[in-house]
Amino acid sequence: MGTFHDTTDPLHGITVIAFAGDTVHVGRCHERDEQQIVLLDADEHTEGQDDRTVADYLDRASRFGVWKKHERLVLAVADVERLTPLSEYFRNGDKAPSTVVAQESPVEPAPTVESSAVADPTAPVNLTDSARGEVRRLLAQEENRGQGLRLGINGGGCSGLVYNVEFDRRKDGDIVVAEDGFDIYLDRKSTIYLRGVTLDYQQGLSGRGFQFQNPNASNTCGCGESFAV
Amino acid sequence: MPYPEQMVVPMRNELVEMGVQELRTVEEVDRFFEESKGTYLVLVNSVCGCAAGSARPAIGLAIQHPKRPRRIATVFAGQDLEATERVRNLIGDVPPSSPSVALMKDGELVHFVPRHLIEGRSAEGVALDLIDGFDKFCD
Repeated sequence: MGTFHDTTDPLHGITVIAFAGDTVHVGRCHERDEQQIVLLDADEHTEGQDDRTVADYLDRASRFGVWKKHERLVLAVADVERLTPLSEYFRNGDKAPSTVVAQESPVEPAPTVESSAVADPTAPVNLTDSARGEVRRLLAQEENRGQGLRLGINGGGCSGLVYNVEFDRRKDGDIVVAEDGFDIYLDRKSTIYLRGVTLDYQQGLSGRGFQFQNPNASNTCGCGESFAV
Repeated sequence: MPYPEQMVVPMRNELVEMGVQELRTVEEVDRFFEESKGTYLVLVNSVCGCAAGSARPAIGLAIQHPKRPRRIATVFAGQDLEATERVRNLIGDVPPSSPSVALMKDGELVHFVPRHLIEGRSAEGVALDLIDGFDKFCD
């Protein structure tokens, strides 16, 4: 029945947009090499077709999918400017990260950051002393008065889930974690992913600011902002 | 052409054991849509890996959220062909894809997760998308 996928191409089986001049082709990426890209169950749209711009077409396609026009569509690599996963276009629109037509290199894991506190795997979330100090300093600023630290996760990013860090007021349903001098607010759906996670803060020229260390992440993108479990 | 039924039984049972109602005929689909009030959800199930690894487990995670649809059902694309076609007609002008999830409210499609937002993603990531829809539209 042919369900074995004999490929390591990260785009295999992923619905992509192939941008080719004023035409876009949308379909499931089946295979690609130096000469051609093969899309399955594909559709296409040219600027102005049916009085719709490509942007309008992609907006609807990213939300609902496309009507199949071709069982199998073969595109010449020379004609394709870039490939973008349709799911990325849904999240980021025109700013979606484009994929080079050649196969990508493996994603490097994020560097390990030293923690100055032992993480408690059962706590809703942990902060290092460095992170606590920086949060207190920022919350003391006029525009953040009366707020706490909101931590959460959202779907998206190159690895599946992204961390959210912001200053916010408490909302109904929040889980509140009392720290020395401030509160941390967590929404319920995020707590299952943040348990055992440590928020660290690295300053200085080589520092990367706030960083999450997640012992449960099976994959983390190079920027450290997106992860999968 | 449908797969042999004994091969897909576990794929059906995974959802049934979560409490999801299977709709296998046009009549069952029509009855479900006619009787449903408020919010209701339909998962279009399939044999593919993203249904097994993402869509079905995502349903299991999402229905643990305090806000959820009043009723949850499933049709099996590629297996129960007429029932699946009937659901696709009822949810509106949406291209067919499987797996996919349609959240309905008072007869209107209010939140849709097509296949391309499931493929390659974790069950947890898909569950979060569903939960976003539940928070927005469910009581």
